[in-house]
Order: sequence, then structure tokens, then C-alpha cells
Amino acid sequence: MYKKILSAINEHFNSEVAARYALHLSKASGAKFYTCFIAGKTDPRSSFDKAEAAMKRLFVLAEKIGVPAESITETGDPVAEIRRIAVHENIDLVFASTRREDAERRFFSGTIARSLSLKIPCSVALVRVVHTGRIHPSDVLVPLKARIGRIQEWASFISVMATAFNAKVHVFHVTKPITKFFHGDIHLTPVEWEKRIPPDMADFLDRLKKHGVIYESKLTPGAIGRSITIEAAARRHDLIIMGASERSLLSSLFSRNPVENVLRETPCDLIILKPRHED
Amino acid sequence: MKINTLAEKEVLQSLVTSESGLAENEARRRLSEFGPNEISEARKAPLIARFLKQFTHFLAVVLWLAALLSFLSEYLHPGEGMLTLGLAITAVIIINAVFTFMQEYRAEKALEALKKLLPFQVKVLREGAEKEIHARDIVPGDIIMLVEGDKIPADARLIESSGLKVNHASLTGESEPQLRNHGPFPGEFMESPNIAFAGTTVVSGSGRAVAFATGMRTEFGRIAHLTSAVEAGLSPLQKEIVRATRVVAAIAGVVGLFFFALGFVIGRSFWDNFIFAVGITVALIPEGMLPTVTLSLSMGSQRMARRKALIKTLSSVETLGSVTVICTDKTGTLTQNNMTATRIWANGTIIDMRDASSGNARDIMKIAYLCNNARFADGHYRGDPTETALLRAARETLGDMPAERLFEIPFDADRKMMTTIHAFSGTRQAFTKGALEKLLPLCSQIMISGAILPLAPALHEQILSAYHALMDGGLRVLAFASKDINDRELPDARAEEIEKDMVFLGLIGLEDPPRPEVPEAIGKCHGAGIRIIMITGDGSRTASAIAREIGLVRGDPRTIEGPAFNQMNDRELREKLSEKEIIFARMTPKHKMRVVSLLKEMGEVVAVTGDGVNDAPALKKADIGIAMGISGTDVAKEASDMILLDDNFATIVNAVEEGRTVYENIKKFITYIFASNIPEAVPYLAYILLRIPLPLTILQILAVDLGTDMLPALALGSEKPTPGVMKQPPRRLTDRLLSVPLILRAYLFLGPLEAAACMFGFFWVLHEGGWLWGTALPATNILYQQATTACLSAIIITQIANVFACRSSRESVFSLGFFSNKLIFAGIAVEIVLQLLIVYTDWGNAIFATAPIPLRVWIILMPFTLALLAAEELRKKASRVIFRTQA
Repeated sequence: MYKKILSAINEHFNSEVAARYALHLSKASGAKFYTCFIAGKTDPRSSFDKAEAAMKRLFVLAEKIGVPAESITETGDPVAEIRRIAVHENIDLVFASTRREDAERRFFSGTIARSLSLKIPCSVALVRVVHTGRIHPSDVLVPLKARIGRIQEWASFISVMATAFNAKVHVFHVTKPITKFFHGDIHLTPVEWEKRIPPDMADFLDRLKKHGVIYESKLTPGAIGRSITIEAAARRHDLIIMGASERSLLSSLFSRNPVENVLRETPCDLIILKPRHED
Repeated sequence: MKINTLAEKEVLQSLVTSESGLAENEARRRLSEFGPNEISEARKAPLIARFLKQFTHFLAVVLWLAALLSFLSEYLHPGEGMLTLGLAITAVIIINAVFTFMQEYRAEKALEALKKLLPFQVKVLREGAEKEIHARDIVPGDIIMLVEGDKIPADARLIESSGLKVNHASLTGESEPQLRNHGPFPGEFMESPNIAFAGTTVVSGSGRAVAFATGMRTEFGRIAHLTSAVEAGLSPLQKEIVRATRVVAAIAGVVGLFFFALGFVIGRSFWDNFIFAVGITVALIPEGMLPTVTLSLSMGSQRMARRKALIKTLSSVETLGSVTVICTDKTGTLTQNNMTATRIWANGTIIDMRDASSGNARDIMKIAYLCNNARFADGHYRGDPTETALLRAARETLGDMPAERLFEIPFDADRKMMTTIHAFSGTRQAFTKGALEKLLPLCSQIMISGAILPLAPALHEQILSAYHALMDGGLRVLAFASKDINDRELPDARAEEIEKDMVFLGLIGLEDPPRPEVPEAIGKCHGAGIRIIMITGDGSRTASAIAREIGLVRGDPRTIEGPAFNQMNDRELREKLSEKEIIFARMTPKHKMRVVSLLKEMGEVVAVTGDGVNDAPALKKADIGIAMGISGTDVAKEASDMILLDDNFATIVNAVEEGRTVYENIKKFITYIFASNIPEAVPYLAYILLRIPLPLTILQILAVDLGTDMLPALALGSEKPTPGVMKQPPRRLTDRLLSVPLILRAYLFLGPLEAAACMFGFFWVLHEGGWLWGTALPATNILYQQATTACLSAIIITQIANVFACRSSRESVFSLGFFSNKLIFAGIAVEIVLQLLIVYTDWGNAIFATAPIPLRVWIILMPFTLALLAAEELRKKASRVIFRTQA
């Protein structure tokens, strides 16, 4: 599915860690790996040097693991330039690291991460790096919504990531508790919950099976964002991969946005995927 | 692949740092990206929002509606006392909200206790220079300098170490210091000896480590995150109260609307109907129920404290009574944590420790003495309980044996053994003690009757069968070996070189006797249908033997050891957990939360014990987290719902008994409170249907609900446990607090009897005063006020009989011991005094629109009290007969 994967590099260490995920994904999917650094006009020389050094290290690593790689350095507005490169090079997937302030601002408003996810014409994976000790994730938590858009790309992405890192996948769906007016919350056993698996999730699991991915699945009632971070912390998952929020600004204002919550409290690295390939 | 598997150079490359550390500007950049290295609380709703929530739950909304209607009635139709009613209802809402909020709000002290385990200042290497910085400024890639006494500020990978020993007690509960090294380790990340975890302490040696996880992303932060984010959810009682209030509100609302509509049909005015509807709704809402439940739980918690169980959250009092599974530690809770070496295997036979002063047994005792870090000083043994027991046995057998210790290869959880090397007049000997499965493969010979023989397969088998026999006796078993050491082998010897080709000497079995109260407590649990799951670090045979000794298991229990547990998925574990008898052996506290979570998912109400820092998430997750008062850490205590002041399992069972009693008592006083709703509602029905003056005013209803009923209800809340309370299975989740039998008894049996009394009193006074049917009486008319007072008094005195009736739903009050609950008499006394104040004081008359009634009115009402008691005794007798027939 992915033939060309681009990773945006900057002077920050976490952009290099995010690019390593992209590099291993490139290896597993047989894609060409691009790194790009877009220098702002006012950026100090040290930023340039840091990013250049990171790109060199990534290049060496790409060579070592046998992935064709190319580095691009430009100046200008990062989002506009990355968009231009993505279009020009026919990039399938762009990796970019999120910044700490992305996690602290509501709805990522005004952040580069938000602009990238909105303006780049191809799929975008935003990576939040929080734990640098889990170099190759061996347990990946995949929280799913009841309705999954672009399910084919989702399943492919997870499968390739699982292959890239030889990781076990834990598919997780948090659902609303079942309540009745005179009864309150109805307790269902895990077996009973499994019978309520949403059709899209069942389809997704079928696709994972076809890709030969080893997975476990779990449905649980609760608050979505909090349940995801608790599950990741309790089971010591190494990486969370989840979809970008499709909630409107208004609904995010009134009911909290789970992606924001996970971004803020994730105990392990997090990839937020915005797939754009049609099924 | 994790950072523990990399070589030192690769670690530095991976974290883009160097042996001289990060540059200051890079450290600042990373600090802005990864955030400060500190423990922070998971984001929660603000305090004010949590307080305001108490005003918006279902019952509060119903009461707000009733208050608003009252204020509206007062505004549109003043003079009916609706303002006072509105104010009274508002006061009830506020009192309920403040009560509940105070119960639910607990300052998050567990995190504060966790924060104390992290250092303030640390030494790091930056730009090649050693600097002391604030611990919160540590970032991934920083080189941390570690020396003896340091607290480790972040999860870090060692790149240099010299005799570095770290105490993991704060993280894993393991008190024995762990030797660390800096070489790559291919095994489990958590077991890796090249990782230094945040919150642990350097006991000796020194080293350098590269930070790779900071703040909430460290293992310590993970515990903090789980401790602050995990919520057990509503307690069973809280769920029942929610359900009960919805049922009651629905009944009150439907009845109010029905009679409002009926009033229209029979031609009453809108305002008469409106006031009537509000009145009947208020009459059917038990305003005093929530405060009474809270006070009853509070009294229950005091009784538990007297039995050495300190309750931290009131709702836990009842939750204890609903517990279906108790997950308990073994050492110190089921057993006395008083280890004694009792048996020894040497020369092919198992002998008593008292006979261990000669031959091979003597050599084993010598190792037990010298290969030991416990100390005997000032008449006391100090150190790890197992080592202390060995030292005591060796001293008592052989006396003191001074010897120079040259070298030590410390114990660690992975190796499960330790070795010391000693000098003896020209010779050097290595002594090793540890787990048999680790030590036996390192032995090539065995000493039998002073002769050293090759360790042939037959002897190997003999050792294993002795090992199993000792474990089957419930003993913790350690193996002992020795070896002569050449000068060449020191001082640069590696553990693998010293600990090979050893001479196997024998085994020692250590006993940790069960607490004497435990077998009876376990028997009670079995009788009460509560499953007990033992979670222990001991081996499965030892755990099974102890479990059998204390009556925890009868047959062959399913035993699951830590490594197998890790390999199982949730589905497999759930299958195992549904088996009747199960023991978890060789487990660590980190496994507990998964066991608790799975049991809760299966619908169990779970209590779990814990004492260490990493027990905190499981303590929070469980319905009842039980911390050990003596051996528990502050973090565990803060995360728990209950603290065992004596660390004793039997105390948990006592608390469960109290919890069950509290639930039974709540049912008793709810019957009592609900019964009085009928005599409060019937006057309104009579008012609208019979077109008579209103027999009971709204304020008089409130006088009963929030005044006279409260103390007798509380007295019912203090009834003692009945003998059968621990002989019935735990309450099913489908069992309702407001069960159909309870509602039928209150609304269709006790209530109508009281209603008959109050209507009789009302009409009798009117009749005596010469009232003629159909004559309207103004609210200020003295005859009318006396009649309503008689109606109110009838409720009060029949409630006196009712309080005795409600002491049991089936047993005769006389068989319970009429005077056995002294608080009931105190409650009745207060009830009578309050009623006398309402009836015979000017201010009582003014507030409640009452008037003094003569003694003959009281006397004429008395037979109703006796009739209610007699009717209840007859009903109970019939109930017992039916129950016996069915049984």
C-alpha cells in the first residue's frame, strides 16, 4: 500500500525517534524512505545542524537495514513545503512528531500537527514520543472506534507495523456502558461483550487475520480516553496506534475528545493515523 | 527490542547522547519536549464540578423540582405553608449534597506518598562536567551519576557499574538489594539487571546510567498513573441507592400525577389539586433516607474500627458485605511471618532441626550461618525473615562462628541465590544458598556422610523427592552447596566461575506457621460463599500445602505460577479464575491488578490485600482495597479503602460480617421509613376522595421524615450481626435493596395499619369536637389542629411498634431479645420527646400548625400500636412456617 514514506525531521530528538518508526515501516512495506527538514527563515544555525545530523544518522540506519532513502532540505513554511514535497514526490504516508504543546492545546488548534493532518493530501501519522526505552514495540495497542473509516488502509497499516516490529496486536474497543433507567448500569461479562462487537471491528479483525497478524481483542465499557491509557499502562503496551479524532469542534467542546486525552496521558509512544487511501 | 538488550554504545546512539552527557541547550530542548521529570495526577473533573454534580443527580433533580413547585405554589397561592416546604426540601438537597461530597472527596494522598520516594537533587553529567541539578530537570539522554545512598530519579540504563546494588523495595516489595550490571541483557525488561528504576535506592557501589524514561513514563509513573486514574466505580450500595431513588421517584411522580388528574375528574379546583399533588409526592419521597444511610454506614465503620479494620470510605462498609472473592497475600496475612527453620535434609534423610549438630547437617548449618546477611545484635536478630530464621537455627545449633568474608555474590530475584567466600586458616571456601532449581544444576558432586560423590541421576532424584516432601509439608525450602576456592579464582572471579562444579550438601525447610485464627476465618468464608484466592511469591507446592493446612483448599487446587500467568491471555485466565480452588504462586505484586480486573469483569465483587507501592493500582482497582497497617507502605495505605490494623486475614472476615450486617440493617430501616409513607399519603387520598379537611399537613410529614423517624431508624442501623449472616451466600448483583417483598411489607402491610391508626385518630378528635361531615374547617381552627395532631401522633406511636417489628423480617422480636438493642429505646425516647415538643409547646404548635391534645387521645391510639406488633408477629410466624415447608 505504501510505496513512498516521508518523515519530517526537525531539531528535536523526538522527530528522529518518530522517523525510526517510519523507517522500519518502510522496510516492512518495501517503500522508499524520505526524510525532510524544512528550515524556517529565522531558525538558528544550531537547529539546522541538529536536523542535518539526525538525517545523516537516519540515512546510515536506512542503509544498514537496506531501505532506499532520500533526504530533502528546504526553507520556508513547514506545512506548505511538506505538502509540496508530498505532492511532487507522490508520497503515500507522512510521519511527523507531535510537540509537547500539541498535547497541551485543545484540539491541537494552531499547531503544525493539526495543519499537517488537515492539509497534506496523503495519509498522515502523527507520532508522540514519550518513552525512549522501548525501541522496537513488541506489544501494540490499537484502540478502535465503532465505525472505522478507510478500514483497508487501517488494517494494512497495523499489519505492516506488526510485521515491522514482530509485534503482537491488542485490538481494543471502549464502548458506552449499557444502562436502564430503573436498573442503572447493566454488567456484562467479557463473553457477552464480545457478542456486541461492532461490525467494522469484526471486519478489521478478519483483515488482520488474513494478513497473518497475531492479535487479541477486547471490548470494555467506560470513558474512552481514560480506558485506553489505563489499558496501555496496566498491560505495559509499548505503542498505541489510534485514529485521528473526527469529532467536531463543538462536540469536542462539550464532551472531551478522547484523542486529546490519550495524547496528554499516554504512558507509551502514540501514533495517530489519519488514513487517506480509499478502500 | 528494548533498551536493556543493547550494548552500552548502542544505548548512547539510540538516545542520541554521549558518554560526556547532553549539551545544556539540548537538555533544555528535551525538557521542553518531554516535560519535567515529576509525578502528576491524572486529569480529573475540577473539585467544584464534582461538588456541583451532587446537586444534579436524579434524586436531587426530583427534589429540586418539588422545591420549585412549592415556591411556585407559595407565589401563586400564599398561606398554605408551601414556602416552608420549599425551604425544607432545599435544605435536604444541600445537606445530602454536602454529606455525599464529603464522603466521595478524598485528597489524593497516595500520589503525595509516591512523590516522597523520588529525589529532589541529582548529579548528572552534562557537557562533560558533573553537575547537581533538580530531579525534575532530568531528560531522556541525561547521564545520571549514581553512588551509595542516592535515590534514582528516572528509569535509566546502566552504562557503567561497580558493585552497584539497588534496593527495589519501593517498587517491587523485594527487600533484598539487587546487584546491577551494565552489560546487555536479552531477557525481560522488568527483570533486567542493567536497568535502574526511578524511586529505587542505591544501597552500595556506584555507576552511571542514561535516562530513557522520565516523569509519568517511568515504571514509578506508571504506578502513579494507574493509582490516580483507576476508579473502582460505584459501590454496590451506591448503585442500589440510585435504583431505589429512581423507583421511589417514579412511584411518587405517577401517584402525584394520577391523583392530580383524578381531582380534575371529580371537580376540585386547580390549586387544591396542585397542592395535593405536591403534598402526596413529598409524602412518598423518603427525604431522610440518604442521611440515615450515611449515618448508619458511619456507625458501621466505628464498629469495624473496634475490630481492627479501619475504614477509609464509608461506602466500603457495605461493599465488604457484598464481597464474593478475597485475593489475599500469604506471608504475614494468612501466616504469622515468623519464619523458623524446622527440618533439614542431609545424608539422604530428613531430620528435625534439633538433631542437626553433626555430620553433613553441621556443614549445612555452617553455610546457613556464614552465607547470611542477617545480624544478631543487642539480643535481637535483624534482617530478612528467611535469613534471620537460618541465622537463629545455626546459632542455636553451633554457636557463634566468626569467619572473614572475602567476597559476596549477592542474591537477586533472577538468580535466586547468593554466594559468599570465606577464609579459614589457609583455605578459602565458597558457600552458596538458594532455590533448588537454580542451585542444583550448578552442582556436580554431593556430600554424603562426609564423602564427596558424583551427583548421579539416582541421587538427583533423591534430592528432588526430599525437596517435594519438604514443600508438601508447607515449608519454604532452600538448598545449600559449597566449594573450595583457589587463590587464582579471586579477586576477579565472575559469578559463573565460582558458582560451578559445586558440592551439594542438603536442604533446609523453613516454616511460617499460619495465624491461629485463620482456619476458622476461612471456614466462615466458605460458609458465606466467599472464594479466597491466595496470591503468593512462594512456590506452588509450598503454597498448596499451606492452603491445605489452613483449610483454604480441599482437593487438588489449580495452581498458576507467575511465568505461566504471563503467557496466558485474558480468556485463558478467566477460565482458570472461574475454577473453584485456585492459587497463584511465584507471583509478584505487579500481577495483582490483572487478576483483580479480570475478576471484576467476570462480575465478582473483589477485595484484595496489599502492602507495597506496586500494590497500589490493584488496591485502587478492587472494590475493596485492603492495606496492611503494620507492614504496609504509606502509598498502599493511601490507595486502600480499608486498613487492617493487625495485618490479620481474620480481621477481613470480621469486617465482611459487619458489612453484611450493615446491608441487612439498611433494609430494616428502609422498611421502617417506607412504612410511614403510607400513613403520610392516605390522608391526602382521603382529603381528595372524601372531601374532608386535610388530615396531615406537609410540614407534619416533614416532622416525621426528617425528625422523629431519624433516630429509631439509626438504632435499627446498629443491630448486631444475626447468627446466620455468614451462613448465606453473598448478595447477588440482581438482588435489589428495594425488593418486592420489602415494598409489599412496607406499603401493603405495615403502612396500611399505621394509616388506619392515623385516620382513626383524626376522625375521633373531629367527632368528639362535634364536627359534621362536609363542614369545612379553616387551618387556624383549634379542633382541626387537634385532629391533625392526633393523626400525626398516631403515626408516631405506631412507628414505635414498627421499629420493633422491623428488627427482623422473619424472626419474632421476642426471640431476638426485646432489650438487646438499647439504642432503639434511646431512639424511641427522643422520638417521644420531639413529638411532645411539637404538640405541647407554643413554638412547636406555631411551626407545625398543631394544638395540644388530651391524654385520652393517646390512650385511644395505643391499641393500634399493640395491634401492629401482634399483626407483625402473626405474619412472621406464617412466614417462618412457609419458609420451613418450602425448605
